[in-house]
This record gives sequence, C-alpha cells and structure tokens, in this order.
Amino acid sequence: MENEGNKKSIKERTKAKHKEKQSKEMNESSNKQVAALFSHLEIAKGANASLASRDIHPAVLVIGLQFADFKICGANARCIATLTAFKKVIQDYKTPEGTTLSRHLPTHLSPQISYLVNSRPMSVGMGNAIRHLKLEISTMDIDLADDDAKLLLCEKIDNFIRDRITVADRVIVSYGLQKIQDGDVILTYARSSVVQALLLEAHAKGIQFKVIIVDSRPRLEGKGLLRCLVDAGISCTYAFLHAVGFVLKDVSKVFLGAHAFMSNGALYSRVGTAMVAMMAKEKNIPVIVCCETYKFAEKVQLDSFVMNEQGNPDEMVNISTTSTPKAGLLDGWLHKPDLKLLNLLHDLTPSKYITTVITEVGMIPCTSVPVILREYKQV
Amino acid sequence: MPIAAIESLVELIKHSKATTLSEFMESLKDASQKLKSSVRNSISLSAGADLFLRFVTRTSHDVTNFEACKEHLMNSGKVLVEKAVAVRHKIAELGVQFIKDDATILIHSYSRVVMLLLQQAAAHKIRFNVYVTESRPTSLGIKSAKILCKAGIPATIILDTAVGYVIDKVDAVFVGAEGVVENGGLINAIGTYQLAVVAKAANKPFYAVIESYKFVRLFPLNQYDLPTHTSDLLAFPDLESRCYQESQIGENSEQNIKEEDYDVENFVARNPTVDYTPPEYITLLCTDLGVLTPSGVSDELIKLYL
Repeated sequence: MENEGNKKSIKERTKAKHKEKQSKEMNESSNKQVAALFSHLEIAKGANASLASRDIHPAVLVIGLQFADFKICGANARCIATLTAFKKVIQDYKTPEGTTLSRHLPTHLSPQISYLVNSRPMSVGMGNAIRHLKLEISTMDIDLADDDAKLLLCEKIDNFIRDRITVADRVIVSYGLQKIQDGDVILTYARSSVVQALLLEAHAKGIQFKVIIVDSRPRLEGKGLLRCLVDAGISCTYAFLHAVGFVLKDVSKVFLGAHAFMSNGALYSRVGTAMVAMMAKEKNIPVIVCCETYKFAEKVQLDSFVMNEQGNPDEMVNISTTSTPKAGLLDGWLHKPDLKLLNLLHDLTPSKYITTVITEVGMIPCTSVPVILREYKQV
Repeated sequence: MPIAAIESLVELIKHSKATTLSEFMESLKDASQKLKSSVRNSISLSAGADLFLRFVTRTSHDVTNFEACKEHLMNSGKVLVEKAVAVRHKIAELGVQFIKDDATILIHSYSRVVMLLLQQAAAHKIRFNVYVTESRPTSLGIKSAKILCKAGIPATIILDTAVGYVIDKVDAVFVGAEGVVENGGLINAIGTYQLAVVAKAANKPFYAVIESYKFVRLFPLNQYDLPTHTSDLLAFPDLESRCYQESQIGENSEQNIKEEDYDVENFVARNPTVDYTPPEYITLLCTDLGVLTPSGVSDELIKLYL
C-alpha cells in the first residue's frame, strides 16, 4: 500500500490529507472532550457523502455510510462488503488512454480506500485483503485486454472471499466441533460470526450443551447472538461483563472471536475480551479463539493504547436497552469542560491467556501466528 | 510403537493389490484406522501412522507411475525405520550438554532415549547421580535403575510420592514421552505432569527428550481431552449396585470390601496410564531436529502438515 512512487498518487494523497484536515477542524469541538492519553487514537469521523470527491464509486459510498453507522460491523462482514464493493468498482472501471490497467487501477482505488478509512478505521483483515488485491493487480500481465483483466480480477476477489473467509469459517467450525462435548457449558463474549456458526452447528449435530453469553454496554452485541441461539433452541444465559467472575464457576470452555491476531500472539478483539480471557485462565478454563488466517497481522502490539479505535462517545450517554434512546446521567456532557468520555472499541489479550487458536489450517498455539504468516508468504 | 506402525504400513504396501491411487490411499487409511482402534493407548501409534500417511500423500502427488511410486514408498518407509536408531543417538549427543559434572538428575519411569542420553553422558566422563521414580503400576523405574547401575551410574529408586521430597536435591529433570502434541505439551506415562508441576514450583529445569516421529497432530485442552480418556477411568463406583452387593454379603462385609478395594488388576484398569503435561511446564525439548522450545514443536508440525 505504501510503496507507490507514483507522482499522481502523491498529489491525490495530499489532496485527501487536506480534506482530512478540514473535517478534523469540523470535529475539533468533540475532540476537545477526548481523554488526553487517548488523543492520538483514530476516531471514526463519520462518513460524509456530500464531502466525498466525484471519483468515489456509489457502491463504496454506500458501504462507507454503513460502516460509519455500524450497520455493517464485524471484521468478516466488513471485509466481504469492501471486496464486493471493489468488485463493482473494477467492473465499472475504464482504463484511460495512454496507460495500462495494472498501473492506473491502483491509483483509482486509493481514493476509494481512503474514503472508507475516513468513515471508519480499517480492520487488519481488510488491510490484508486490499494488499492482496493490489498485489494481484500489480502482477497482472500487461498485455491482457481490459475486459479479460477485469474478469480475472473479479474471479480472484471471489476466490479470496471463498478460500480465506467463507470456506475457512466452515473448516474452523468443523475443527471447533471436536472440542464441544456433551455436558459442556460454553461461555462467549459479545458476538462473533464464526462462534455463532459453531454453536449452531454443534446444536444441529445434537450435542447437549449450554451457552453463557457475556455482553457489555454500549454496543450490546451479544443480544443479537442470544436471539439467534435461543431461536435455534439452545439453552442460554445472558450476563453482563461485570458478572463474569460469578458465571465462570460453571463454565467448561470459553470460545472467543477475533478482530485480528498480532505477530506476538496477542489477540486484538472487542473491548472486554481481555478481561474474560484473563478471568477464565485464572480459573484454569481453556480459552479457545476462532480466527481466520487472513486476520493475522505482521505487527507486534503490547498494549491496547498504542493502536485502538474510538467509538462515538455519545453511545455511552444512551442507557436505553431498547431501540428508543434514553439519555442517562451523562446527558449534556459536552458542556461540562472537565468531563471526558472514552469509548474504546478494542482491547489486546496477551498470548498467555489464550489456550489455542482454531484456524482453517488447524488448531495452533497462538505463539505460532508468525509461523503461519511465514508459510503463507512462501506460497 | 510409531516405528511398528510404519513397518506394518510398509508391509501393507508390499502386499497391496490396489490398482488405482485412490484405492491404494483408501486401503492405507483404513489400515491405520484399524491399527489405532486396536490398542487402548493409540497416541504414539497414531503419530507414526499419520506421519507415514502424510508422507505418502506428498510423494504420490509428484509420481506418475504407480508401481514406481509404490516401490519408492516402500524404500523410504524402510529408511525411516532404519533411521529410528540413529535418531536416538543423535538426540543423546545433543542432550549431553544439559548434564553438568556433579549433577543430580531426576528421571521418570523408563525411556530408551533417556537411558541412551545418560549412558552417553557417562561415556563423556561426566559424573552425576540419578533418582528414578518407581513409576507404579508398571514399575519400569526399577528396570531403568538396573540399566544405569550396570553402566556405572549411581541410581536410586524413589517412590512416586517422594518426588516433592527429593526435588530440592535435583538439578534437572529428564523425561521421555509417548507423544508431543501440537502446542509442545507432552503425553507420557502417568505421573509426568505432577513431576513437571513440582519441578516448576522448585524452579528446576524440566527437559523432554524425544524423537521427532512422535510429534502428533493433537491439541488437548486438558487431561480429559485425550483420546485415551474414557468415562470409566477414575469413575466413582455405582453406589446402588454396591449397596445391593453389601446386603447380600451380610455380616462379613467389611473384609470383603477391603479385598475388592485392593484388587490390583481392577484398580490398575480404572486408572489412567498416561497424562498430559502442558507446555508451560517444559523448559526445552531435545529432539533430532535440534533443541526446541515448546512453541518450536508447533512450528515443525505446521511445516510438515500445511
């Protein structure tokens, strides 16, 4: 992504930066209310479709808005949405005179990407997928006709979604099933699409088990999972994060989803995950994380402060548990100069709290994340 | 055991009448499944069988002539078997560096490769003492002690319950293993886990000495997640049927219960023969691939199976 020595792209980037500056100034008032230690963290500025340049494809505009409003959330859903939108971009793309597709298409894509990043910081998996796409574009035969090249790229995108996400999930579910036995009590935190698929599949296989869903404000994502599992007829308990110590005493296994895995084996996931993993390890309960290998990052991260994402602080003001908003004690916080709100979206679980990671290549200890990265690089 | 599994699979190839590759693979898979289900403790056996099957899958891809492929597999299977002894010598040579002069070593039960390592160390003119756990119910520790004494190494047999008592005098613990699992944990004769826990508590290094053909693709989450675990192990007696028996026995019941409790065969059958030692208790694994940390095992397994 970084190595584009193209003058044009630099120009476009400076343009984008200028635009960012403008929108930053607009958000200045709310930035003041961010806790000092976290002022470096990215805040989703919210997509502004009217500010976006003409070059942005409508499909990208739509998902940008959906990302910003958390209408599409979860690493897998966002990655699939991005790739599908980029497929449309590629299909509607026409190479200008005097240049080739493999040279020009990346510069056409980069404003779309920065628009998406502006609407919500990109997830690690999305970054990996986009890097993969750019690599495919740059290694394409230069003599290939436009239509053929576009067709080939779309096929490559479809293959990526199939191999690294949808089929990978099915393989992970099949591995996970080996670790769920009759009589198990499984605890999970918030909502992960793979864990949900695994629990539903285990129930469909006739395994007798119970589920404890731990959830936390302000997103309350576990409610969606709860509804889904209860509809399927699985016996569930729903508890908030502060009760985790209490509910853990009956638990036999903890299954967690992942946003990303770092090279040092640390898990980057929904805020609160680290606490659940730590408590479970303390009680000698195995902590099992389900994660596709495309979410493995080459970065090393030691804490949740250096890199993280801030959500909208206003979410914390709303204390309603139903869809109609209800302001709590924090109402009017913007007018209190000494009051700062912090709504972190992710946290980092150190590798010592994780027993195993289930990936599409098998069950591995989380210290083997760099091994998988290395093996994939060789291919 | 893993070597025996490979040998029997090679024998199968020799007599195989399969005409297509898929038929051939199917028969090999069937055979290894049969081997695994035929013994009570299939861990080390499945390591050998899986390794050979993986090898077959890999080579069969790049060979077009089926007969030549069979020939090639048979030969390499034989080589694998022949290498097994040489491998143990290599490990022993690597492991000697962990025994210092005037050291006291604690070993568990009997393991060929640990024996070889200690003999090799003695041959290097290193002076050391060995404590050997008796390792009930097999009492294989006695066999170990005899072999060591014959080699001129001072050895003392200790009770399995005396591990905590001697650990402060010990400089390092050496164990063999039936299998090494994916996270670098060990599956070994019962008692290894408690030995490792005691060693960790006393801050003593705990070394596993093992051949790389014993690496298995298993990932146990705890003791009860092993293929050897069955529900009748360490189960509480069925009280109702027992009460019924007692009432039939009548007055002399006390004596009868005593006899039943000490019925050795019954008591051994109800006890597990192996346990699982998690990787955090293991200092290093000394293998023919080199000296590995527990996480290095997963590295090797991924390289082999990905």
